[in-house]
Amino acid sequence: MSEYDLAELGPVDYLVVEFPEGQQNFTGEVAEELVRLSDAGTIRVIDILILVKDEQGNVDAMELSDAGELGELVKLEAELAELLAADDVVNLAYAMDPGSVAGVLVYENLWAAPFAAAARRAGGQLIANGRIPIQAIIASIEAGDASETTGA
Amino acid sequence: MLRAARVGRVGVVGAPVAKAAVVASAVSPGPSPIAKAAVVGAAVTPGRRRRI
Repeated sequence: MSEYDLAELGPVDYLVVEFPEGQQNFTGEVAEELVRLSDAGTIRVIDILILVKDEQGNVDAMELSDAGELGELVKLEAELAELLAADDVVNLAYAMDPGSVAGVLVYENLWAAPFAAAARRAGGQLIANGRIPIQAIIASIEAGDASETTGA
Repeated sequence: MLRAARVGRVGVVGAPVAKAAVVASAVSPGPSPIAKAAVVGAAVTPGRRRRI
């Protein structure tokens, strides 16, 4: 690894953001925010794909460069590492509803890299990670409220 | 159309991805979404002590 030292890499995550049929309102705001995160050094964008799933469940995958006018995304597109393989498209599109469009984003959490590197240098190893859905937080709060009300 | 470099490579995702629950479905019914967001915000505010 030349440009990036493995020990200094931040964790890499992916997101699949679905835009259901009839609810698509593309104004460029999402792209602006993504570029802002990249410019701020919060994340490094590794890959982007656009997936389209028709009503029959057929999936078409597009490169960002095939998505028409890119605007500010041009500077990100030039740096993409094309990490995702064709096999990944099938697995990622599995989560999509028919008739929807989705953006797939793979990114390195640059903000976490110094902490992760420090933890590694201290002998630590990541043994679990995850995301807590907002729904789970709401459920926890509501369960707590209910138990306070009932005295359970 | 995917670039040729993506075809035939080993993927990194590994398995079909299950659809996550959509947040919007969790903010109804009950208190207004804004009120619920405030409650969630308070729950994740630094300094809040956990109740065990």
